[in-house]
Amino acid sequence: MGNLRKNIRVLKEMVYLRFHRMVVSRLDFFAPFFIDGILFVVQLLAFNVVYSNVDKIGTWGHGEMVLYIGTFSLINAINMVVYFFGVNGIPSKIKSGELDLYLSKPVSPLFHLSFEKTSPGSLPLAAMGICIILYGASILDVKPGIAQIIQYIFWVLVMSVLYYDMEVIIRSVPLYTVSMARMEQIEEVGIDLCMKLPGTAFYGIYKVIFYIILPYGIMATLPVQSIISEMDLWTGIYGIFIVIIFSCITCAVWKYGLKHYNSASS
Amino acid sequence: MYKYWEISKTYMKTQLVWRADVIFNMVFTVTKILFAYLLWGMVFKDRDMAGMFSFNGMLSYYIASSFLSQLEMSGGISAEIYDRIRNGTFSKYMVIPAGIERYFLAMEFGIVLFYIPFDFIAAIIWIFIFRVNFTFTMDLQVIVCAAVIAFLGLLFMAQLNYLLGIMALKFPGIQTFLMIKDNLAMLITGGIVPLALFPESVINILKILPFYYVTYLPAMLFSGFCREEAVSGIFIILFWCIVVQAVINVLWKKYVKKYQGAGI
Repeated sequence: MGNLRKNIRVLKEMVYLRFHRMVVSRLDFFAPFFIDGILFVVQLLAFNVVYSNVDKIGTWGHGEMVLYIGTFSLINAINMVVYFFGVNGIPSKIKSGELDLYLSKPVSPLFHLSFEKTSPGSLPLAAMGICIILYGASILDVKPGIAQIIQYIFWVLVMSVLYYDMEVIIRSVPLYTVSMARMEQIEEVGIDLCMKLPGTAFYGIYKVIFYIILPYGIMATLPVQSIISEMDLWTGIYGIFIVIIFSCITCAVWKYGLKHYNSASS
Repeated sequence: MYKYWEISKTYMKTQLVWRADVIFNMVFTVTKILFAYLLWGMVFKDRDMAGMFSFNGMLSYYIASSFLSQLEMSGGISAEIYDRIRNGTFSKYMVIPAGIERYFLAMEFGIVLFYIPFDFIAAIIWIFIFRVNFTFTMDLQVIVCAAVIAFLGLLFMAQLNYLLGIMALKFPGIQTFLMIKDNLAMLITGGIVPLALFPESVINILKILPFYYVTYLPAMLFSGFCREEAVSGIFIILFWCIVVQAVINVLWKKYVKKYQGAGI
């Protein structure tokens, strides 16, 4: 409990410092919002075009797809606001030996690294994601009850944890090898594909890849399935199971990776 | 001309240093095709045609488009110029005995030339793996026109990225804009969805803009569509190359005076 309180205090200070540093350059402050905002607008326009030519893709109509894009945008917003910029700096800190500094501080190095670069400028992305979700809900004409909304928020948060796990695992590779071996590009390709394609589109080997090995395919799919009442019990259990497994892998990869860390020579 | 060919050759050799990059570049061409295969595979379960495309026509378009967009690597030009201006080392390009823009164009030419056979092999592999009955035009005139448009399209993108790069002489924070441009270009070059599926009014507007001719029109021509636009396409993209070159000349003269070689 004392540890948690200390971490919250540290987090508060880091957010405060980061905010002050970021407002110095106003364009940079909102840069993630402009860049990712345009990305999701592009996705919306692209699928508007697709749905003006077809009624359904598999079992999903236009409304479900807009909900999917909005949900991915919301999860991405949480990622950008809370941990992306911190986690993204891990490989360079390992290579340069700067990780030493984090190991010597009286706070968990992964906690410090993950949350030292929060991005308040990305907050409008979350608002934009919510607007897209509301637009999707209006197309579908769904009026979810409180229980469904809570269930949806629960899945968005759980999938944000999965996103974090994936990012940390991929960026911990330099603890074991000299090169990143293009791991970040694999992540980029996986996210790029799953941002445009819901998990329901995958089958066979593609399902194995994007549901188990690189589970980007379930990230926005499960929250959407929960709100359109398409999720069965087994899918829910599977979602929780995969997040627990990947969280354990993240802990193990980081913990054992630190044992391989040889300061600047890593 | 000889020295620029030497620059191109140097950059072709440089690509060999990063052999893993070449392999990954080949492998990752699959993303676009996999996206098309899964998305349109679901759509074509219930129908035979979407717009003007059959399933094979659609996949053929994506394979040709993926091949061409993979060759479009000129984003590195603006990134390199931006970084060099920011840290004050752009002077390197000012002292070498070659025109700066021509140096970057020669660099781009060398890189593209190096990747053509690899991306071509990748495209052939995907055709077999995804069992695509690839539709390729047999009209020699259309093939030549498509190749010329593709070349001019790549030249236009290299010029555009050079232009955006030198804008850093005046505007230090253009990096955000460069990333926004990449996201937008994905849509308006037909990288996500073929532009033929857009509403007629939007297509008519896009036809005036150069991005229509960068990868979309050549890919459509190679796949056997839009043959009536083959000749006009050459003139429109050529017009844009001339326009962007004129803008480069004006802005370069105006902004180069602001460069102090000290970084920003």
